[in-house]
Amino acid sequence: MGYVRSLRCRECGAEYPPTRITVCEACFGPLEVAYELDAVREVFTRDALARRAPNLWRYRELLPVYEDASRVDLQPGYTPLRRADNLARALDLRDVWVKDDTVNPTYSFKDRPVAVAIAKAREWGLEAVGCASTGNLAAATAAAAAKARLPCYVFAPASLEATKLLLPRLYGATLVPVDGTYDDANRVALLTADKRGWGFVNINLRSYYAEGSKTLLFETWEQLGFALPDVIVTPLGSGLLLTAVEKGIRELIGLGELTGSTTRLVGTQAAGCAPIVRGFESPDGRPKPVRRPDTIAESLAIGDPASGTEAIQIMRRSRGFADAPTDSEILDAQELLAKTEGVFAEPAGGTTVATLRRARDDGRIDRDERVVLLVTGNGLKAPHVLDGRFPPIVPVAADPAAVDAFLGGLAHG
Amino acid sequence: MVKLVVASPIAVATRGEREIDVDFEGTLGGLFERIAERYGKEFRQRILENDGGLKRFVNVYVNGEDARYLNGLDTRIARDATIDLLPAIAGG
Repeated sequence: MGYVRSLRCRECGAEYPPTRITVCEACFGPLEVAYELDAVREVFTRDALARRAPNLWRYRELLPVYEDASRVDLQPGYTPLRRADNLARALDLRDVWVKDDTVNPTYSFKDRPVAVAIAKAREWGLEAVGCASTGNLAAATAAAAAKARLPCYVFAPASLEATKLLLPRLYGATLVPVDGTYDDANRVALLTADKRGWGFVNINLRSYYAEGSKTLLFETWEQLGFALPDVIVTPLGSGLLLTAVEKGIRELIGLGELTGSTTRLVGTQAAGCAPIVRGFESPDGRPKPVRRPDTIAESLAIGDPASGTEAIQIMRRSRGFADAPTDSEILDAQELLAKTEGVFAEPAGGTTVATLRRARDDGRIDRDERVVLLVTGNGLKAPHVLDGRFPPIVPVAADPAAVDAFLGGLAHG
Repeated sequence: MVKLVVASPIAVATRGEREIDVDFEGTLGGLFERIAERYGKEFRQRILENDGGLKRFVNVYVNGEDARYLNGLDTRIARDATIDLLPAIAGG
């Protein structure tokens, strides 16, 4: 059992042994993994962390995997936390950092939760795995399944970016290209996994899967010298990442590593699919489902976000906020991040930068606050969103005079 | 026949039955009343709020369409409809 105590319902508090149950049997609410923190405290020390390999398993006492041999060794995690001084200057801020998860094994943060979920599938001897995906999870699940030599079934909207549909097939998975939205894909994936007994990482392995995502918070804390920033900006799809970040903070407090937290948790979605943001803005605090998402930020295009209500409660409790930039603002932000920091994020990453810019402009984020942006996916997976933003390529003759003529009218830089 | 498909985590409300055929035509709310007659308070308490609305953590689909995008419990159910009862906590 490692250090795991139970699965606990986030809604009603019911506790269960850490087995293959999906949701609370009493209220069908979400389950989270609870640990024996008093025992973890003895071994999860800063000195011990300093001696561990740079991947997410360095936090193994707070991950629900019992057998080392069940881990797939793609080694996600411990990605760079980049000090973003050029971006900060451009936005008139003092202290901005980019947690750069574009460099994970399959180029998004999804390698983190998948690492834990696939390890559980192996511990339990499941015969096949899969997921419902807006794109990034498809590649992460398929790659880990390839390494684990498990059959993999990926359900995704058939309309996704070509690269996001290519990658899972390249890694050997069976792609089920669903004629519909992500929510349609999620529904049929759930029914399929339920009927066939397969382990779908973000469906019937979701409570374990979520644990991998909180390593983004642990790394941020460690890389800032065992401290949290004033603000963390998190992209929101289902809202699960933001709830995982908050769980990571709670666990560090439970271990005595932090005395408390004043970190404001900020969530961001594209205006064309913002069910959590609209819920944050409404008096009832419930997500406002979107039947037909319409945004270039495909990886956030979940109309019916499963962890939306929890994410709203957490943002409110932490005195954070929710924000929804437009696609145009997201594209500008992607370009700004690339040109200032050399980081090419997909639109979901641009969304965090766009929200930072909007919040600086209207005062929701103060100039002196230390801000960490979670940049969760690589721009090379969705290059076509940038079509038309640059002049067409016109070939230059391969001789110096032609190059001079080409450069002559251009200012340096 | 209306076909009710109940995902396994929810089937605790239907005594473990995951596919249920019902001879019915009417509204979604009426269908649930009919199901509740068969499975008693276990179904009613787990699926429906006291005011008759749906519990927050159960999603209902009528022929693949989320009932919230239709007319909720007033959605018309044809004699050959398929209704899915699925946990809301999934995906992402």
